[in-house]
Amino acid sequence: MTQRGLRVWGVTLVTLALGLALLPLVANAYLLATALGLLMWLALTQSWCVFSRMTGYVSLGHVVFYGLGAYVVVVTWQQWPLPLAVLAGGAVAAVFAALIGGPVLRVRGPYFVILTFGVAELVRYAILAGEAASGTASRILFGAPDLILIYAAMYALALAATVLLLAVSRSRFGHGLRSLRENEEAAETLGVPVVRYKLAAFVLSAAIPGMVGGVMALRSTYFVVGQVFDPMISVTIIAMALLGGGDDTRGPVLGTVFLFVVEELLWANAPLAYMIILGGILAGFVLLAPNGLVGMIDARRRGVGADAAMASTAPGTAPAVASLGSAPTQEPT
Amino acid sequence: MSTPVLSIEGLSKRFGGLVALHDVGFDVAEGEIVGIMGANGAGKTTLFSLIAGNARPSSGRIVYEGREIAGLSPDRICRLGIARTFQIVKPFAGLTVRENVRTAALFGRLGVRHARDADRHAQPILDALGLAADADRPAAELTLSGQKRLEIARAVATGARLVLLDEVMAGLTPTEVAQMLDTLRQIRRERGLTLLVIEHVMRALMDLCARIVVLHHGERIAAGTPEEIGRDGRVLAVYFGAHA
Repeated sequence: MTQRGLRVWGVTLVTLALGLALLPLVANAYLLATALGLLMWLALTQSWCVFSRMTGYVSLGHVVFYGLGAYVVVVTWQQWPLPLAVLAGGAVAAVFAALIGGPVLRVRGPYFVILTFGVAELVRYAILAGEAASGTASRILFGAPDLILIYAAMYALALAATVLLLAVSRSRFGHGLRSLRENEEAAETLGVPVVRYKLAAFVLSAAIPGMVGGVMALRSTYFVVGQVFDPMISVTIIAMALLGGGDDTRGPVLGTVFLFVVEELLWANAPLAYMIILGGILAGFVLLAPNGLVGMIDARRRGVGADAAMASTAPGTAPAVASLGSAPTQEPT
Repeated sequence: MSTPVLSIEGLSKRFGGLVALHDVGFDVAEGEIVGIMGANGAGKTTLFSLIAGNARPSSGRIVYEGREIAGLSPDRICRLGIARTFQIVKPFAGLTVRENVRTAALFGRLGVRHARDADRHAQPILDALGLAADADRPAAELTLSGQKRLEIARAVATGARLVLLDEVMAGLTPTEVAQMLDTLRQIRRERGLTLLVIEHVMRALMDLCARIVVLHHGERIAAGTPEEIGRDGRVLAVYFGAHA
């Protein structure tokens, strides 16, 4: 990103954060509930990117962390204080990631995608079977906290996920992850501890979704296993990340906001054609803008930058994979 | 000769029924340039993979600076000071040339903490290998010759003491080979490196190396100065079908 791009993005991000922070002062319950959904997807997609965007290992099973977090909150309901239960949800998700990470991260590409999907389904059916055996088909949570508190908690999680991706993307750790994404054997041979790094990224990207699941369990107050382990959650995360593109904080924010707004508009105005139009948009993006919204923005800016470079004979243009992690100093302004 | 930097004893590697390397041994002294010669399939690249940790030996010892390294992970071995290049280049295609070399400086033996310091360390290496002009382009856009030089730049930027070069001159024109030889000598002199070189360009190997080890069907059939190798009966028999 150029210095100017970095500034524009910083302003956008702060505006969005302030807007969402001040929203409860003016919004009615419906709008607040809608914004809660946006925050949830933001937190999930940013977290997913910490692992999948940085390493190139596409997880199609991130819902498992969300579901585990929700389940922890539900089974500890009225026994543990809520903040502790939500934190425990995150911890359980992270520990689970650490446990399965060893074997699961040995495979790459399509095999990894299928494996993560399988693990998520396995956990879903295992918990379903456990609930059935204990005679609980579903649970109702009485006395869940107010929407405003849930909103505040989700806001904190979305913010934390964004800061996490920002920090990872710019760090030495993030540079190692990008290297192993590009070529794992070369990265390893140049000293990047790939096994440890992949596992660390996987665990980091699981913790916040676990807490998000815990908070959302409070929102629905009605717990059904099939719902909190719904594979559509994993798919939606990927769709948002793909629409956004890139491997810094911009992609998840742009993709999430875009898909979320389009979805809300379509759902309200064209309830029958809604899924068809949405599918069309997704297909169009994959075919016409495989690098997502971030790719489109960078391509535009690079075009402008190249002209400026030619006019002033300044050296260099923006690299193809522009990111917060790469030094933005070589580019013409 | 003081204690060798690298000492290989009885090294073997089997892939199922295929014996890629059988009972190979030799020493490399500090600052030496040793060539590895042999036809395709002689086991040269397998030897590099075993030393760099990309594969585990079936048996034998690899001692680097007095320490057994066989079976350690590649990243550990790199941090101890051994770096290799890949015959089939493996650039970080989507990252810039500078970011490629930055990885090596950040994670290799030097383990520089900050990107800025890593780039400062990388700059003279980019200059020496003629990559400075392309530093901010994606590595995917380099020519094959450029990608071969990037392999060397990354290996050197790790701060390695021992660098394994796997056919870095293959596919270069005679002029480029001559330039590459100069560059390699210069880098070795300035940084006090020890080099282990696999090369098919015979002239280059004879020119560059003080000593050559010849592999054939996974076995060491000769070792010595280029002159000795040129007179060796078994080597001549293997290469020219002459009778010893």
